[in-house]
Amino acid sequence: MQKYEKLEKIGEGTYGTVFKAKNKETHEIVALKRVRLDDDDEGVPSSALREICLLKELKHKNIVRLYDVLHSEKKLTLVFEHCDQDLKKYFDSLNGEIDLDVVKSFMYQLLRGLAFCHSHNVLHRDLKPQNLLINKNGELKLADFGLARAFGIPVKCYSAEVVTLWYRPPDVLFGAKLYTTSIDMWSAGCIFAELANSGRPLFPGSDVDDQLKRIFKLLGTPNEDTWPGVTQLPDYKPLPVYQPSLGLAQVVPRLPARGRDLLARLLTCNPALRMPADDAMAHAYFHDLNPSVKNDRC
Amino acid sequence: MAPTRLAAKPIGVNENLNGILTHGITTRSKQLASLKGHKDGLKVPNKRKADSPLKDMTAKRAAFGDITNAINKSCANNDKDKILAAKKVTVESKILPTLKSVKPQPILNGKTSKTKTLHRVATNAFESVQKHFTKDTAKPVSTRAQNGILKNIDRKPAGKENQNHSQTSVKSARSDVSGEPSLYTTALENISPSDSTKEEYKSISEQLDKVNLDDTINRSLDVETETPHKAPSGVVDFDQENWNDPFQVSHYAMDIFNYLKSRERLFPIDDYLQRMNGITSWMRALLVDWMVEVQESFELNHETLYLAVKLVDLFLARSSKQPERDHLTKEELQLLGAAALFIASKFDERIPPLVDDFLYICDGAYTLSQLLKMEMNILRVVDFDLGVPLSYRFLRRYARCARVSMPTLTLARFVLEQCLLDYALVPHSDSKMAAAALYLALRMKSLGTWTPTLTYYTGYTLQEILPIALAQNATLHKKPKSAISTVRNKYSHTIFFEVAKVPLVEDSVLSS
Repeated sequence: MQKYEKLEKIGEGTYGTVFKAKNKETHEIVALKRVRLDDDDEGVPSSALREICLLKELKHKNIVRLYDVLHSEKKLTLVFEHCDQDLKKYFDSLNGEIDLDVVKSFMYQLLRGLAFCHSHNVLHRDLKPQNLLINKNGELKLADFGLARAFGIPVKCYSAEVVTLWYRPPDVLFGAKLYTTSIDMWSAGCIFAELANSGRPLFPGSDVDDQLKRIFKLLGTPNEDTWPGVTQLPDYKPLPVYQPSLGLAQVVPRLPARGRDLLARLLTCNPALRMPADDAMAHAYFHDLNPSVKNDRC
Repeated sequence: MAPTRLAAKPIGVNENLNGILTHGITTRSKQLASLKGHKDGLKVPNKRKADSPLKDMTAKRAAFGDITNAINKSCANNDKDKILAAKKVTVESKILPTLKSVKPQPILNGKTSKTKTLHRVATNAFESVQKHFTKDTAKPVSTRAQNGILKNIDRKPAGKENQNHSQTSVKSARSDVSGEPSLYTTALENISPSDSTKEEYKSISEQLDKVNLDDTINRSLDVETETPHKAPSGVVDFDQENWNDPFQVSHYAMDIFNYLKSRERLFPIDDYLQRMNGITSWMRALLVDWMVEVQESFELNHETLYLAVKLVDLFLARSSKQPERDHLTKEELQLLGAAALFIASKFDERIPPLVDDFLYICDGAYTLSQLLKMEMNILRVVDFDLGVPLSYRFLRRYARCARVSMPTLTLARFVLEQCLLDYALVPHSDSKMAAAALYLALRMKSLGTWTPTLTYYTGYTLQEILPIALAQNATLHKKPKSAISTVRNKYSHTIFFEVAKVPLVEDSVLSS
């Protein structure tokens, strides 16, 4: 631990405290995440195990970099690249409306990071503004892989207790345990709308029922025609039949037509029809994306 | 510590091995009993504390506090649970008498009384399961604290009424195994192409387009729905056929398997035993056999088993390059196996067994602190990289792409699993092992030879895999030894189509 000098506490991660710190030799600023290992415990927590292992594999510009893992008898320390703030804090610091070019750039980077995860066999399962880091250069990075996992093909049953409520897709809200990359695409859609509205969450539900109602009020209540199999999901319950009355234009008024089209394809209740990340990156909404963002390969 | 089971084995056990492998439990019912025993007798009900990731979520995440992951846990009903249920009951009812016959052993540490408790508890568990099954009672919600493997018992009945019919493929997966409850058949094992067609995707696209689009986007979307990887002519494009079944992840399948294959070179395993004193390939075989037994007892995923065996080999291959004083001793071999399973479970299982379960299966041969030290030691040696490409996963992909039936796939799995025990096969790449096992299975069932489709999806020609198929065949032809018979017994069960009984073929059949 001598290598790093702790500067300040940044926050609490899924399983440990996060500090800002300085590498004493290189003066590089890093984020340290500490995982306590108690002797009467279950050893390395599985969330830490997965995060370390998955991030060691996922080296990409739009995914937070895990530089090193230091271990001692009593603790593990994960050394991460440091970013100035997360998207939530970025929203809070906004004065007035967000620049629409920034929306496009952030959204593209989010999708690029996700496409990389998905094509490398990893589901994030907890996308939300707090878990997207932003640095001074306007780069966005996926972080906190504490709930992430590698998936099999075909997928197996995983926990339905994933993704923070506001960003949780309707299939998982109905208890689906068989899900795949589409789980992250719903969250990406919610974040897209939140970006376009300068940080106003799209579906801030208070519980599962409220969450579903908010979703269906906007998109219409699904039925066996629009989403074959929906009524058979483990926790399916009949909800009021809403017509998709409210147009997206009213919900994300600042987003141009192409952006609204992309949003609709991400916010598709039926997971089978939700657009995958790499298709989304090729969507016409991004045709006029600043080339410096687009070509910025990892 | 008396190696109870080894001692009981009549033949084939090398005297030198006493004390290397201790069999704490050997049957599933004993295992169940042990867990229940922990709860009732050993008083560790609050064992699972803050280390569950999901629990951590709820407890520690500040952002959304109590609304985060507030989903009700009673939704524990899916095919897998149902299958677990069915299988567990069969096994319990079969094995309980055995348990009764377990005599109080004259062992230290008050083990005798524990055995009694275990028996009582096991009986209770069995009765409660039966009760659940006779009348479909309301699903009890198990709490996190009640965790461990036993949890599945409580959950079982739920699966009955509410099972998930939404995925057509799930249903057909079941029919694939002809109604046989198969614990090991992962959901969606069916090989037939998905019913859903591109039409559905199109119709939604059209609807969306009607709402708000200009033709630029139409054009771009048409291009985008094509598969990025094109199969050559004469090869059935499996991913294209399953394009709209999201559970096949067809969109990324080719990328992912190419990626996994590219990672194989990162995990080379050489002939490490020649650098080590005191550990032999026979000891390794005994260890892996025991690991298969644990996998069965704990009902772990096969990926967990395969990963754990990899961790054992990687650990030995890498640590044996260190100065000799750092080499693993034969007394620590089982500790290594248990810790490897412990890590692999945490990585892959939805509900991993608890650390106490792993201590128990070693029959108390190791302490908690030894196990946790070994865990860290393994993680350090493998540099926390658990994303090891596994033959089991490659095999499933290859078999599905070639539309191989479940019995044939299962036969190939038997080949792979039997080969896990054979040290001579350790250096081979996992994708090649999978391809060779599939080829061997096809030949054993007289289902023809290597096809262009298989060449395309595996990336291997017959010439490339034939030497490995011959080596695998040699492994199968080895005289069965009772000390390492777990895999054979396992695959002699009807759940596995009794594939271990499929007649072996001569090498000439493979080369023809």
